[in-house]
Amino acid sequence: MALTFKLGDGSRVKCEAARLEDDPLHVTCEVQRDGGHGPLSFECALGTDGTIRILGEHPRRAWAVAAGDTRWVFVDGEVYELKVEIAGGHRRPHHHGSLSAPMPATVIRLQTRAGDRVKRGDTLVVLEAMKMELPVRSNADGVVSAVHCREGDLVQPGVALIEIAEDEA
Amino acid sequence: MVRLLIANRGEIAIRIIRACREARIESVAVYSDADAGAPHVSAADRALRIGPAPAPESYLSIPALIEAAHASGADAVHPGYGFLSENAAFARACEAAGLIFVGPPTDAIERMGSKIAARELARSAGVPVVPGITPPYQTDGALAEAARAIGYPVLVKAAAGGGGRGMRTVGDDRDAHELIPAARREAAAAFGDGTLYVERLIERPRHVEIQVMGDAHGNLVHLFERECSVQRRHQKIVEESPSPSLAPPVRAAMGAAAVASARAAGYRNAGTVEFLLEGEGDAARFYFLEMNTRLQVEHPVTEAVAGVDLVLAQLLVAAGERLPWSQDSLIQRGHAIECRIYAEDPANGFLPQAGPLRLYREPRGPGIRVDAGVVEGNTITVNYDPLLAKLIVSAESRDAAIERAVAALREYAVLGIRTNIPFLIRLLGHPEFRAGRLHTGFVDAHLGELSSRGPVPAEALAAAATLPAAGGQVTAAARSAPDPWSTLTGWGR
Repeated sequence: MALTFKLGDGSRVKCEAARLEDDPLHVTCEVQRDGGHGPLSFECALGTDGTIRILGEHPRRAWAVAAGDTRWVFVDGEVYELKVEIAGGHRRPHHHGSLSAPMPATVIRLQTRAGDRVKRGDTLVVLEAMKMELPVRSNADGVVSAVHCREGDLVQPGVALIEIAEDEA
Repeated sequence: MVRLLIANRGEIAIRIIRACREARIESVAVYSDADAGAPHVSAADRALRIGPAPAPESYLSIPALIEAAHASGADAVHPGYGFLSENAAFARACEAAGLIFVGPPTDAIERMGSKIAARELARSAGVPVVPGITPPYQTDGALAEAARAIGYPVLVKAAAGGGGRGMRTVGDDRDAHELIPAARREAAAAFGDGTLYVERLIERPRHVEIQVMGDAHGNLVHLFERECSVQRRHQKIVEESPSPSLAPPVRAAMGAAAVASARAAGYRNAGTVEFLLEGEGDAARFYFLEMNTRLQVEHPVTEAVAGVDLVLAQLLVAAGERLPWSQDSLIQRGHAIECRIYAEDPANGFLPQAGPLRLYREPRGPGIRVDAGVVEGNTITVNYDPLLAKLIVSAESRDAAIERAVAALREYAVLGIRTNIPFLIRLLGHPEFRAGRLHTGFVDAHLGELSSRGPVPAEALAAAATLPAAGGQVTAAARSAPDPWSTLTGWGR
């Protein structure tokens, strides 16, 4: 099975995995990076406990799970969240100047209104999660164009709370 | 003591339930709606619902807990740590309801509960304290004036508090203007008391604490120190014993000071006297910081080096028996390190994380202990503290203990939610940590290198690609039915 991961730096990696016909616990995997030299090839042994052993000169042990379009991998104490690029899928446009909660939280103070002029670093909303105050600060100089939350709201990550029309540079 | 109600949740509730099994005491768990299926509920002999998810209506509700104790026929209550563990009103309510409170006498909680009164008590017992002021009028102006009188930088703290909430480092008047109101709000929200005090900030201090334990027969001992300097946002993340550079005369003096402080407070049961340590070797000076009138998160470190069971001893002492040890019978042997496993993102200001534990594999082996409050498949919510578990390793030397901890963390696979495990591995491997050159600013000073991670290795990509196509069945956890998180797209963007 082939799939493409989009990494944090914007580069893409194509991976092609194939299960050996006579041995369902062994998988070969080719990894081809954008602009990289020929593909790297790995042989992986799957354990019944979910362990993935990457064989070879420098053997490593890994665990991996899929969650939506993310694959989480644990290798030698490091964790990677890899985004699977869905073929033909189109992503929502990125809202420049929109601020969202980093995690599920409650809005305890709203310190701005639509039309307010704000500076980068100004605290616009104060959230509370796990008994800690989390300030949401403006990421730009500009004017607040929309406020999508009220005090007391329970907000989810990734949903815009405040939108800011940035000043022209 | 026949039946003990545990007024807590998570790993500490399970820890106390284990001690109950050994002492042949029946255990009663309590839970909020958010914890109905939680591991601490399944671990107990009985379990009662005490209210909805918000802590003030469940784990912090004294009436709900007292009612649960009566309904379950419990004759004793263990408060664990956090929540109501240092709340004198709760201890008094237990007493009034005819329940044994597994902890110190109510008046000792009160004496040590106010940082201001505790400082005075320690001072009167001949124990050194950090210079500080509590303005009688708690206006922003009076607090800022106190800060100027002591001289910036200062530490503003909640008089009623602990755990870093309501605490701010204030560098100048401008800081004071913004941070004092924030500290007061946090203190009021966390402890129901917004009183603040201001003290001299000791530069590059170590945080070293002494475990004490007393009984109702006048016996009071200390169980050596725990080095707790590795902190983020004033909360401990790595603790060890012995402290890597505590000179024997200083250790002895601190032990004696801790016992003197506890005796002055009329202390009984388990407690911890926290000190700030300044300077090196025999010339190091220590200052009384506060006394925690409860079992600490990091108690297993002491259990490992002293070879004792503190929770079992708490139950014995609460039942009126004598301490199982004398000062002379206690020795500190080998080295132990605890790493707190938090659902948090160190690369993003240690923000607490919520979400499902899609994969959760604990390390095992000689000298490895994991006290966990979660199992694979659990969903971590924002309602409570983000502590998932504690890894405690012990070995014959500090170097061996560090190696053991790193090896254990490298097989502590947690996926589906960000944790501080990779951060802990880098921290334990840091040359300054290895050299034992610790201070409470250690994490902040090295935050960049501790948080940064190299590019994604090809092996990780290969491992990810071995999974079946999206929607395929991968692990038992991924199979568990309705999954609201798969529709949540906020992660990692």
